[in-house]
Amino acid sequence: MSGSATTSEAVSGVALAAGPNSLDRAKDRKERRFAAALLAPAFLALLATTTFPLMFLVWTSTFRMDLAMPFADGFVGLRNYSDLLADPRFWSSLSVSLIYTASTVVLQVALGLALALLVMDLKRSQGLFRVIAILPVVLSPAVVGMIWRTFMLAPEFGIIDYLAINAGLGSKNWLGDPTLAMISVIVIHTWQWTPFAFMVLLASLASLPEDIYEAARLDRASAWQRFVRITLPLLRPAIVMVVIMRTMVALTAFAAIFTVTAGGPGTATEILNLYAYRKSFTELSIGYGSALAVALLIVTLLISGGLFALRRAK
Amino acid sequence: MTGKQFRLIAIVAISVLFLAAWIFPIVWSVLNSLKTDGDVLAYPPKLIFAPTLDAYRDVLFGSASILPNLVSSFIISIGTTVITMLMAVPAAYALARLRFRGKAFAGFYVLATQMLPPVGIIIPYFLILRNIGWIDTYQGIILIYLSFSLPFAIWLLVSYFEDIPFEMEEAAYLDGASRLRTLWRIIIPQVRGGIAVTIVFVFLNAWNEFLFAVVLSGNTVRPVTVAMFNFVSVEQTLWAKLAAVSVLAMLPVVILGIVAQKHIVKGLTVGAVKGGGRR
Repeated sequence: MSGSATTSEAVSGVALAAGPNSLDRAKDRKERRFAAALLAPAFLALLATTTFPLMFLVWTSTFRMDLAMPFADGFVGLRNYSDLLADPRFWSSLSVSLIYTASTVVLQVALGLALALLVMDLKRSQGLFRVIAILPVVLSPAVVGMIWRTFMLAPEFGIIDYLAINAGLGSKNWLGDPTLAMISVIVIHTWQWTPFAFMVLLASLASLPEDIYEAARLDRASAWQRFVRITLPLLRPAIVMVVIMRTMVALTAFAAIFTVTAGGPGTATEILNLYAYRKSFTELSIGYGSALAVALLIVTLLISGGLFALRRAK
Repeated sequence: MTGKQFRLIAIVAISVLFLAAWIFPIVWSVLNSLKTDGDVLAYPPKLIFAPTLDAYRDVLFGSASILPNLVSSFIISIGTTVITMLMAVPAAYALARLRFRGKAFAGFYVLATQMLPPVGIIIPYFLILRNIGWIDTYQGIILIYLSFSLPFAIWLLVSYFEDIPFEMEEAAYLDGASRLRTLWRIIIPQVRGGIAVTIVFVFLNAWNEFLFAVVLSGNTVRPVTVAMFNFVSVEQTLWAKLAAVSVLAMLPVVILGIVAQKHIVKGLTVGAVKGGGRR
């Protein structure tokens, strides 16, 4: 963007030298009008589908709005929010969200980085890895969830259960036990999105300058030293970017949990996002559901604010 | 065996393990979709079996056909893509190339809209669309899909517009061509590749969306990701059919993903360089 600004300044500079000032200003006005005309449709659509619903959401969150009992509806001020703070299910869903997000993001980055480092050493088959890695990330999380729930994890039918039986662990109720269900949804998310971290980090690794490593080798730096002192600091921007993007997605993950456990058993895998959905569309308490969605937005903003600060910090 | 050979073997072994883990659930679904109901339930799981297309015939042309749902998915995805591109191409050009007050803010706004959790959009929109009778309609779903497809498309296109040399535009102006004409005749052909990549990703994201679809769909408009649930119920799972439906739902996006493989990292990380953004 800075490039375009300097070039157009140069253009108007030429116009300034060649003609009177008013001509230049007329040209500027024309450009502004043209820009406004080009931007208007997209920005009106964005206002209508994001900003307006946000305002409406905040407004709805101050009402009791129960589609099952419309006669009791009415303005309640901040009641939904005080209820929320006293709601154990809110705190439980918040902690499930944080565990889910932290563990999936850490696993994706650690596994993705490890694999990218391994594959960098393979000279010939990198192309194969790049193609295979695309497969999970282009799939719908709903389809991924469905495949795992049935063909991978169904007791006495899924492959994971088959492997567990053969390993002497016995058949497990993978999605019926609270701890196993939580591990399962974390594994599924990690399975689908580690290739993303892998692809981004591999691209970043491939662009690192070779000569620094040569110099380090001449200085007899060990492989570990080279990794910690050179690779990690150079990869830091890419790693932080992956962490930020994946955190945002994990916080609002929906389809893969909804199709696999629907938040269950009980509320064992109910992340805040899913709680807001269930409250609004299963229990039909739209007002309270809206307050939960606002809470999710606040959590998202706080966490992303923290991560952006991390990105700026040296 | 030397240390170096051992190292190489270890690397290959671990890498192959990862590849297998990524590809297995997909391959296994494909295999199951080619089995009879008897083969699919066999224990231990059968790797060798007589393949059949029965499951596909049943889910496509049987009594509970998902053909209408595939059509729904295509209409939604194509509709979203067309409308998104019509709005995003001009907007991205303006953000990348024109000079106007508030440009930085406009760019930031496009990114910031992505911070809003989808559930926070669908709750109010459910109420609105219900009031105007747009639940279970294509226009309802496509309208709400703009909330995520527009910011994505705008930012991806901006990155392509920024790559074109300025001289081409200037030459056209000097020849007296109007701005709109220049945009249409000179600029757009330059970013054809970028536009194609953007179309692929917008289509892909629309095809894969689930939360909005599950809330807004009904008997008329029900994309395949939602219709998939017809094959799993509390009483029984129709294994082979479910596998066939999963494969049909995966097919278009896998093809698109492989076609666009060189651009996938860019498509997945767009906007991240400048701010946040979700997939």
